[in-house]
Amino acid sequence: MQLKRMTSYWNKPEHVAYLFIAPTGILLFVFCIIPLVASFFLSTMKVGVNLGLGEFIGLDNYVKAFTDRRFIDSLRVTIKFSVIETFLQMVIGIAVSAFIANNSFFNRMVRSIYFLPVITSAVTVGIMWQMILHPSIGLFTYWMEKIGLNNVALLNNPDTALYTLMGISIWRNFGISAIILVAAIQNVPKDYYEAAELDGAGKIKQFFAITLPEIKSSIWYLLISRVIGSLQVFDIVYTLTNGGPNNSTRTTVFYIYGEAFSKNNNMGYASAMSEILFGMIMIVIIVLQHIERKTSD
Amino acid sequence: MKINVKKVIINVILKTILGMLALVILIPIIWLIFSAFKEEADIISWPPTFFPKEFVFSNWEGVKSKIDIIQYTVNSMIYALGTSIPAVFLNALAGYAFSRFNFKFKNVIFIGYLATLMIPFQVIMVPLYLEIHALGWLNSYAALIVPKIASASWIFLCRAAFDGLPKELEEAARIDGCSEIRIFSNIMLPLIKPTCITIFILTVNGCWNDMLWPMLVANSSSMRTLANGLAILIGTHTTEYGSSFMGALFSMLPMLILYIFGQKYFIEGQAHSGIKG
Repeated sequence: MQLKRMTSYWNKPEHVAYLFIAPTGILLFVFCIIPLVASFFLSTMKVGVNLGLGEFIGLDNYVKAFTDRRFIDSLRVTIKFSVIETFLQMVIGIAVSAFIANNSFFNRMVRSIYFLPVITSAVTVGIMWQMILHPSIGLFTYWMEKIGLNNVALLNNPDTALYTLMGISIWRNFGISAIILVAAIQNVPKDYYEAAELDGAGKIKQFFAITLPEIKSSIWYLLISRVIGSLQVFDIVYTLTNGGPNNSTRTTVFYIYGEAFSKNNNMGYASAMSEILFGMIMIVIIVLQHIERKTSD
Repeated sequence: MKINVKKVIINVILKTILGMLALVILIPIIWLIFSAFKEEADIISWPPTFFPKEFVFSNWEGVKSKIDIIQYTVNSMIYALGTSIPAVFLNALAGYAFSRFNFKFKNVIFIGYLATLMIPFQVIMVPLYLEIHALGWLNSYAALIVPKIASASWIFLCRAAFDGLPKELEEAARIDGCSEIRIFSNIMLPLIKPTCITIFILTVNGCWNDMLWPMLVANSSSMRTLANGLAILIGTHTTEYGSSFMGALFSMLPMLILYIFGQKYFIEGQAHSGIKG
């Protein structure tokens, strides 16, 4: 009897809903919210892998971070990567998407090719591009030599390594941006273009007067998610340059990873740096959304 | 007539540029595939070749002698399927509740779910690692799988899919005395099959290619996944390129097949799921 009453209570839509959201709710709480909160506490501690041995040191980790030459340099590398990579990728993505929006056979084919690198892992990207750009046996090096550029070693030169990473990152990701924008362009009502056609507006004018304003929200969405993604760049750094040469590609997450996991398990300090990065990401999101709202009025 | 000629020329130039861009994307991938079948001497020859002088399979033996690639593949499969199957079911379950039921604090809870989208993985990786360490889960499948199942963006996607279904469906089943969980699993879930496939495919792809998380929590020699096992292969055997190529090709192949058959879902999912590094 008791059991039956219980099952009928929990079978009511307004009650069963809690059971339905509980599994994911618990998982997100335990593996997302708790770590976020824990991160704040860890950032005020001097602590290794063993939490019991931690000691409270207030804001010392933050002070240390802002006086740590290597951390500041890593921020500079990360911001440079993020700004240039995002900008170029958006420009290429927008330009390409405008030309491949029609569902012709050719367009569908190039679209699925542009999107293909989504299946590559960072390790595959690492092996592939390290070898193509290899200074003594690389295919790209050979082609450069053929057009008269000797001793090209893009990944081994501190002046070019970061830009090379940007290029590889764009190679890997611009297809995603292009596809998302193609979907947005296809949603623009056809009669807008017909009306413009009647007014005698050319294709280029139509693009700037109709397409661009109509897909603005998708562009903003992409911009924000690309900035967030690129500020956390880690895996291609790990597989392509390992932070080198000469620390020219040591990004913030790469530096955090090193402090926490590969050397001295400086978990407190790593958390403080993570918090600073998190703060930066939040500020970027808020500023970009503010600009978006301002410009859409 | 004059305008038409101009149009054709512009079109040809445009198609050429777009085609060349496609080549830039393709060449490294094709070159990797060919290189996996080259002899070591062929790989390190100068000038470098695009096609193998002769196709050899010896690199596969090379991979097998250096890393336990079969074990790593099994681990990757367990990680990918162990995550994606519950991910489809549980995220759809929550998405269904947010779409079809009215309950107290629904909106507040939903905003709470969405807020988790703003938390970048790289920012919480240190405490998450410590949590797994404290749970005693290091080097277990649970460490890989459990934290990766729930995803607010998938819940959001499922909610939108369920929103598109008519309300009468479950009313009829309810009158017939079906329990709510049966209505969900037998009637409603099959109706959003394309969304389920999208979540499944993208989760499989994400886990298969994931390097950072397995590197942190599953680093013992028997627990490594393919992605981080290969990272070790290139780290320790940098002088033997053939086996690196073969390993990379081997790890890429299942995703390539998945892409060829499920391209539509890849694109669908990417257009909806937000923030990736």
